[in-house]
Amino acid sequence: MGKQYGSKLMSVSEAVSRFVPDGATIGMGGQSIGRCSMAIAHEIVRQGKRDLTLVGCNLSLSMDIMVGAGLVKRTENGTGSLERFGTAFRWRYAIEQGLIEVDDYSHLGMASRFLAGSLGLPFMPSKSLLGTDILNKKSFDNGKPFEMIDNPWNPGEPVVLLPALTPDVSIIHAQKADEFGNVVIEGFTTQEPEMTKASKAVIVSCEELISTDEIRRNPDRTTIPYIFVDAVVEQPWGAYPTSVYRYYEHDEDHLRMYQAAARAGGEAYQEYLRKYIYDCETFDDHLELVGVTKLNELRRIMAGLV
Amino acid sequence: MANDYALDELMVVEAARHIDDGDIVLVGTGLPFAASLFAQKSGAPHMCYVVETGPISPEVIPTPISVSDARVMYRAARLGSLVESLGGVLQRGMADVAFLGGAQIDQFANVNSTVIGDYDSPKVRFPGSGGANDLASHARKILIITRHEKRRFPAHCDYITSPGYIDRPDGRAKAGLPSAYPDIFVFTDLAVLAIDKSTGRLRVEKLMPGVSIEQVQENTGFELSPAPEVIGVDPPTPEDLRLLREEVDPNGVYLRGPE
Repeated sequence: MGKQYGSKLMSVSEAVSRFVPDGATIGMGGQSIGRCSMAIAHEIVRQGKRDLTLVGCNLSLSMDIMVGAGLVKRTENGTGSLERFGTAFRWRYAIEQGLIEVDDYSHLGMASRFLAGSLGLPFMPSKSLLGTDILNKKSFDNGKPFEMIDNPWNPGEPVVLLPALTPDVSIIHAQKADEFGNVVIEGFTTQEPEMTKASKAVIVSCEELISTDEIRRNPDRTTIPYIFVDAVVEQPWGAYPTSVYRYYEHDEDHLRMYQAAARAGGEAYQEYLRKYIYDCETFDDHLELVGVTKLNELRRIMAGLV
Repeated sequence: MANDYALDELMVVEAARHIDDGDIVLVGTGLPFAASLFAQKSGAPHMCYVVETGPISPEVIPTPISVSDARVMYRAARLGSLVESLGGVLQRGMADVAFLGGAQIDQFANVNSTVIGDYDSPKVRFPGSGGANDLASHARKILIITRHEKRRFPAHCDYITSPGYIDRPDGRAKAGLPSAYPDIFVFTDLAVLAIDKSTGRLRVEKLMPGVSIEQVQENTGFELSPAPEVIGVDPPTPEDLRLLREEVDPNGVYLRGPE
């Protein structure tokens, strides 16, 4: 059953309270320091949703703040990192302390699981992971992480089967959407097309709300049609401090500051959460703290890269 | 002082020399970004740079720091998805070269980027595979670049994230990996190591200028045999150094020049 055709425009707080229950498995949009759904993640932290399972290929800053806020019980992913800016430190700490469970895959492994889910199939064959400890160490407690079979058409050839992954809800930040939930992602799309189409619900925040007429005049540019989408949130800068292709560069200074606090943990980290998330009523309050001078600079840098 | 250079710089130049013009290259994050960009600007102008997030054949702008960086999307032939890059190009069997950084590399060129110590109660947790497992599983030639430190070269990885030759010459074939006998090279600031296909183990192929085989051995946690003829890495030309410093990494993101 598709999602109904009607306006899905709502506030981020309404979207999160309606579509992110405690205990949800959440598909995480973006990758590394690009297009992470920060506005939605901040709202999930503010609403204190509990016992979450976060899934994706690379899980980055939007994941780390939820782990740091104590909301996460497990992750299924290929990496927890901000690349050049380092490991996702609260995630790393939580694993080392045994506070969360992790199921490791490769990025193609995770994307293959979403692909299976998006096609309504129970699993996807893979030729990655063979011969490695990713297949040897089973940290899973919810059934089989994979199965090995013999290729029926080429006996003697091992093939890995990876189980479909169908998140309860996916959260993504895109460049453009209309009020009905037709979504245009510009630039790289990483695992998002498959992940959103595999999800039971999808929340999209966007830089710009565009008209349905614009969508229907350029339907080949629609990355995700409305039938998969439940909530549309208009939130310029909604991926800050990560980047949005064609809109703004990541904020190196803020990322470094976050990483320093996340690495230190304790009071330094709590202070970050308090100042930038809990004490902000909305994501715009968070942007206010950053200031328009910095935001303009990030726009200018991106303009020179596209 | 055109011939004054750091071995880190030559490590990047030498790695880039292993990319042929026209190669389809799956490029991992970190130093591989710089070395692949150097190759694109020198000996391999028609190489096809592919990044896991979806960019295919960008004209890379210096100096990318992330697979989501707009600098790896500039004037690409296509900006697609991860399934397209890692599935439709790499697993499909179209990658001539996969280029990755390394955390821990063992004698069979297996790479660990997941955990130090026991998996279930780790001493140190690393970020994990990312696309590295996929890159090492499917490409015909695998390039690994990392600085040479003893702790990075243990006899056996605590955890195999990405497959080398696993534990024997036909280890990959037995595991069912599609790229069963790839060439594997490891570039460091001391040497070039390569897989000896008769043993499935790394051996010393080339030495950096001024570096002895004893010095390489001292900084490696397993016994390294030399290739029948160990040669020196060709020093960089003045043009190599200009390109590297002015067009690949002008802000010193990855490389510092000589001290």
